Amino acid sequence: MIFLLILSFSISAKDTPDDAGGSITINAYNIPEGTQRILLYRLAGGDTIYEEVGLISIFKGEYDDASVVDGMEYLYRGKAITEDRAYVAEIKEYISSSPEWFNKSRTSVLLLLILFWVVVLIYIQLAKKNPEGLFIRRLPPLEAMDEAVGRATEMGKPVLYVPGIEYITDAGTLASITILEMVGKKVAEYDTRIINPHFDPIVMTIAQETLKTAFSEAGRPDAFNKDDVFYLTSEQFGFAAGVDGIMHREKPGAIFLQGYFYAESLILAETGYSIGAIQIAGTNATTQLPFFVAACDYVLLGEEMFAASAYISREPRLLGSIKGADLVKSALLILIGAGVIFGTIAFIADNAGNPTYMEIFNKILEFLARAAS
Amino acid sequence: MKKRIPLVITFITGFIIIVSFFIPHRPFGQLETETLIWYAIIFAFTLIIGVDSLVRLHVRQIRRRKKGWWYSIVFFAGFFYCLTIGIISIIRTPNPFQPGTAFFYGYETILIPLQSTMFALLAFFVASASYRAFRARNIDATLLLIAAVIVMLGRVPAGYKLWHRLPAIADWIFDVLQIGAMRGILIGVALGAVAMSLRLILGIERTYLS
Amino acid sequence: MSISTSIWVWIAALLTLMVYSFLYKDNPFYRLAEHIFMGLSLGYTLTILWYNYIIPRVYEPLFLPPHQWSLIFPILLGLMTFGIFSKKYNWLIKYPLAFYVGGYAGLRIPLLLQSWIIRQVEASFLTPDKFTSVYSSINAILIFVGLVTTLIYFYFSKKREHGFGAAANVGIIFIMVAFGAAFGYTVMARISLLIGRMQFLIQEWLGIM
Repeated sequence: MIFLLILSFSISAKDTPDDAGGSITINAYNIPEGTQRILLYRLAGGDTIYEEVGLISIFKGEYDDASVVDGMEYLYRGKAITEDRAYVAEIKEYISSSPEWFNKSRTSVLLLLILFWVVVLIYIQLAKKNPEGLFIRRLPPLEAMDEAVGRATEMGKPVLYVPGIEYITDAGTLASITILEMVGKKVAEYDTRIINPHFDPIVMTIAQETLKTAFSEAGRPDAFNKDDVFYLTSEQFGFAAGVDGIMHREKPGAIFLQGYFYAESLILAETGYSIGAIQIAGTNATTQLPFFVAACDYVLLGEEMFAASAYISREPRLLGSIKGADLVKSALLILIGAGVIFGTIAFIADNAGNPTYMEIFNKILEFLARAAS
Repeated sequence: MKKRIPLVITFITGFIIIVSFFIPHRPFGQLETETLIWYAIIFAFTLIIGVDSLVRLHVRQIRRRKKGWWYSIVFFAGFFYCLTIGIISIIRTPNPFQPGTAFFYGYETILIPLQSTMFALLAFFVASASYRAFRARNIDATLLLIAAVIVMLGRVPAGYKLWHRLPAIADWIFDVLQIGAMRGILIGVALGAVAMSLRLILGIERTYLS
Repeated sequence: MSISTSIWVWIAALLTLMVYSFLYKDNPFYRLAEHIFMGLSLGYTLTILWYNYIIPRVYEPLFLPPHQWSLIFPILLGLMTFGIFSKKYNWLIKYPLAFYVGGYAGLRIPLLLQSWIIRQVEASFLTPDKFTSVYSSINAILIFVGLVTTLIYFYFSKKREHGFGAAANVGIIFIMVAFGAAFGYTVMARISLLIGRMQFLIQEWLGIM
């Protein structure tokens, strides 16, 4: 092999950005044609011999050396090996790694989060001052709750409430618990039984306390039966089998399927239909919405579940947060619209020979893409 | 006090986790991984609560000789069988999921067929749901019906035989018309979930502490 | 035709038929299969609990070197959940719950903003490469209109009047078409699940074909 120092093949090194330290990123440029592999060598400050640390990817031209120590200085050498020769490039300046205090690639997320916080807090304060001024549109599934519980009471049948098959960590499950509280109050007022099987034991314990409180607030603490709120299983189809069995044996007059569901959603909804129950579903699982829409009488579509607590309680702080979320939605629409208009202007200007706008537009896209990756 | 301290804990925990998302520097950068490990441990304890609840339910059924009480005996038979072979498998080979263990064999020959059969029930239920949905009570149901039928037929050879352009139209509905709405729903769900999470951290939403 | 002589194939086949009997109506066979299923899944859950959680995440880190004494904190929180068994101390469960719910709310917020909102917004920008032909231009505009009208449909704090109401009505059209497409897309997948079980019954159990 002939070792040749060619200026065109080069490498650069920098502290890996936006990380917790312990990593240096090496980039290779002008990789010679026919390169089979690029070996990377490292010399730690104080050492005399380079050690091999890895292979720089030929396709990406990049390698993250994650075996460095923060604060220690290093030199690097790259060797691109082709069939008949080797090309060597070196970095003359020492480089060291250090941890970052802020992940710059997530700036757009931070800006959106601050916008969200500020808008929601402002509207919560406004709502406290003027609670009558906040409007929330009709949500037919929530208005049908009364009808559903009333119908079950007339038929002398219980109400079945299924809070989905996710854990308390899921937002949809939390929303389901707030809806359970409202259903619990109605059920207590109508003096009907509510059956509440669970997939997650933590959700079960919260549901027990929630229903106990709901029954107490409705003035019927004695009517609450803790045995009707139980853990079934944490296995998906075992849970579906168990709930189907409950539907056929107990024959509820109203079924609430509220929470996060997976493939078993249609099994539950169809079984509920087959026993003639009125079904009110709601899920943040976008993949299961079509099945609930096809099989149930009323469906809360995704985001509508999260508005349920505000809708029923009309509490100013909850209404304020809904309004705040709507405003962020408007901001996103404006951002998308502005992006379309600016992109069009940039495209026209670029075609007319002025690439400045297109460069700015591409930088904005890159800024968003970095956060999204 | 019994409600105030938990609210403070919720706020502090939520806030620190959010902040750690933006700060890679130790200890913030590792907080997410550490807390997930902690949550897995807490979750393990709560499973014991769930097991207790279910066992009590079936013991009550048996004691009170309620209708169908003997099914609870079947439940315990299945439970003790699976638990016994699980314990034996852990003692013999530390990994009960290793092929060849009694636990793995029981899982493969009994539990998996039961799961697959329940899953396969969906074929019947999707047919019955389709039949009902396709009676087109209103304009919304009509749209759902038309889109579903086109996409359904477009994905099978029979659809191509019916009309050679059907698969292309099905792909167009799925790749174009569907995408915009799904993006909107996803953004809406995310905004709703973020708003709900903010309410939880700020202590406005407190149902979980009732 | 050669019927299987394996007891386990027979057990799996009988359980399959017992579950399918549910399609006719609820019956003792289905209830038997249901309770066997739930009993087995509970035993399975406990085995998973021991093998995947107690041993690697509690016992080994605490009692084997290097000892991670920081795990005593979540263990204490876990033990506090047992307060649910006592009428006097059931308020103790609120502390681990608060920690759990608060932490996951904190985890969820930036992740949703990053992967669900910013990513979707970034993908929605109409860039010049989406207008390479008349067909792609129309598609790009349709996707854009679908997104905007769907977002307008999910507005809660504004009355659906005039132009806003019309846009929301267009939004529900896109939503229903999307639901229909998603529904139609999964039908074949569901049928294939049934085919799988039928193959097991016909080929492995009855030995036909």
